[in-house]
Amino acid sequence: MSKAYTLEELLAIAVAKEIHDYENVILGVGVPMTAGALAKALYAPHATLMMESGIVDFRPLLSLNNIADAHSCRGFSYATDLFSTFTATYRGFVDVCFLGVGQVDKYGNLNTTVIGDYEKPTLRLPGSGGAADFISYAKRTVLTMRGGTFVNTLDYLTSPGYLEGGDSRDKTGLFPCGSGPVALISTKGIFRFDPATKEMYLAQIHPGVSLESVKRDVPWDLQVASDLKETPRPTDDEIDFIRDFAPELTAGRELASELRNAHMMKKTDFSQEKVPDGAQVRRLK
Amino acid sequence: MAEAKGGKVMSAKEAVQRFVHDRDELVIGNYTVGSCAELCYEIVRQGKKGFTLYSQSGIFDVEVLVAGGCASRLVTTYVLRSGGKKGGSAVERALNAGMLEIEDYTNFDYNARLVAGMHGFSYIQVLEGVMATDLFRKRGFMGENKFRVIKCPYTGKDQLTVPAANPDVCIIHVQRADKSGNAQYWGAMGSVAAAALASKKIIVSCEEIVDHEIIQSSPHLTIIPAYRVSAVVEVPWGAHPTEVLGYYNMDYFMYIGLFSSAAATADGLKAWMDEWIYGCPDRASYIDHYVRRFGSAVLDELRAKPFYSAPANYGSAFTSRWDREGRERSMGVTRPQLEKLLKERGKMYE
Repeated sequence: MSKAYTLEELLAIAVAKEIHDYENVILGVGVPMTAGALAKALYAPHATLMMESGIVDFRPLLSLNNIADAHSCRGFSYATDLFSTFTATYRGFVDVCFLGVGQVDKYGNLNTTVIGDYEKPTLRLPGSGGAADFISYAKRTVLTMRGGTFVNTLDYLTSPGYLEGGDSRDKTGLFPCGSGPVALISTKGIFRFDPATKEMYLAQIHPGVSLESVKRDVPWDLQVASDLKETPRPTDDEIDFIRDFAPELTAGRELASELRNAHMMKKTDFSQEKVPDGAQVRRLK
Repeated sequence: MAEAKGGKVMSAKEAVQRFVHDRDELVIGNYTVGSCAELCYEIVRQGKKGFTLYSQSGIFDVEVLVAGGCASRLVTTYVLRSGGKKGGSAVERALNAGMLEIEDYTNFDYNARLVAGMHGFSYIQVLEGVMATDLFRKRGFMGENKFRVIKCPYTGKDQLTVPAANPDVCIIHVQRADKSGNAQYWGAMGSVAAAALASKKIIVSCEEIVDHEIIQSSPHLTIIPAYRVSAVVEVPWGAHPTEVLGYYNMDYFMYIGLFSSAAATADGLKAWMDEWIYGCPDRASYIDHYVRRFGSAVLDELRAKPFYSAPANYGSAFTSRWDREGRERSMGVTRPQLEKLLKERGKMYE
């Protein structure tokens, strides 16, 4: 029996397995970054890891804070720019990319722009960034889900999945044939897309997760593979890699944030003694 | 760009006073890291208004410009939600208050507009997949001119295009520059050069001003040539709390700890800006204030450990047409011999 693991770790390991050796891979921050580093270390040593900031063939030292993080800049091979990274994707040189999920519908269409009205938003999300262009032209796209939601109708379509399903994506003539999302990986399981209808179905479930708990998150009648598989337990090597590389991912958002806040409070308390003349603050208006 | 009177080296205050104006189209040149924090803060302190603000990847820089009332329009692809899912952001609050209009593009579309502008084109082809999304369908203040579809004259296919952008002024932070404005930047190239070169005026802030000889020994690192630059501002820690490759790391304590939690509410952000922007007349006093409050150890911990690039050999075999004996290398004669021969053949005129 291998060591105990967290669901976040299981998610990152499942994501890493979507990367094959010798592939060109576009990574984003968070789970994909850790997955990319894990794949490079354990399964896909010849993969070329790339980021849209133009950092190509890098090996992150530690889990990165953003897609231009200084810790990705030690010993990368090719410094290009954002424009050229996207045109390389457009020309078909990117095998797989990874996108995070805000809202997702049953055909893998994504919203990362806005919840509610566009002009008067309930929740203004970050926006497209590179997502819409990557899912358009990478050969495969893997969706990763930590905090997002499944919905019947998106509030805003930021990034095109299989549009209305069936062959509607290919029929537009806007995308390379056969491109689009191949999987959505969450902390509960792995969803794939039916080859004919392009509807998302549950293909694999993580150990200890009930089917009811997966279905509870999905507002449509979720189809389940007749040969539903269970995700294999992670190996000790996989777990050790993640705990060393991305301990905050192991901790999970809630605990990481709790510990970070407590740690920062200590710093602030300590520093309060160093304010002999806190009266520097000037009110402008 | 004509050499500014008294040279281009000046304070952030003078650069913003002279080259940034109300209602300008203003572009933040940096992409995600190493943002031109001090130039943004100085703009906020001077209370500039009415910008159409361009930002490829908005972070605290966009939030303080929006919260400071400087921007009425925002062209962007991504704006970090500092307050997290539960908290708000300055951009969200300004949209809801009707104080800000937004135009959303993808990273490529946005960058392409600057690339078109940088090369003097009026529009540029972008990746057509966006036509299936609300990025294409939903138009903000640019209306029909956000995207237009044309026929490719060669293939007959529909092509998606965006208009060129030529902002009035670019503010940008780099690692080093010389006093005439040759700006060197390395690391994540992003859209940094395009943002600067598309713009009519460029204000460069840098961690250090170096001798021109340093620039000449590493010209591939120069992303903006001196003749395009209006002002050079030397600002150590000028991108804090974001990182500058080779100088310092991102300051999580200031960014995630202090700024992001403050930015979740309008009052919180105002208090943060009162202390760290309005309360500090320049970057030196901002750093002084930081050290007084938190000690210098926090900043020292962020300093980058060196990892130098291997020097590239820019040398050539000769530096003169004339060899050590004073003979021309291909013709084999000395200069007096050459002149004598020309005279003999009647080719010299008195």
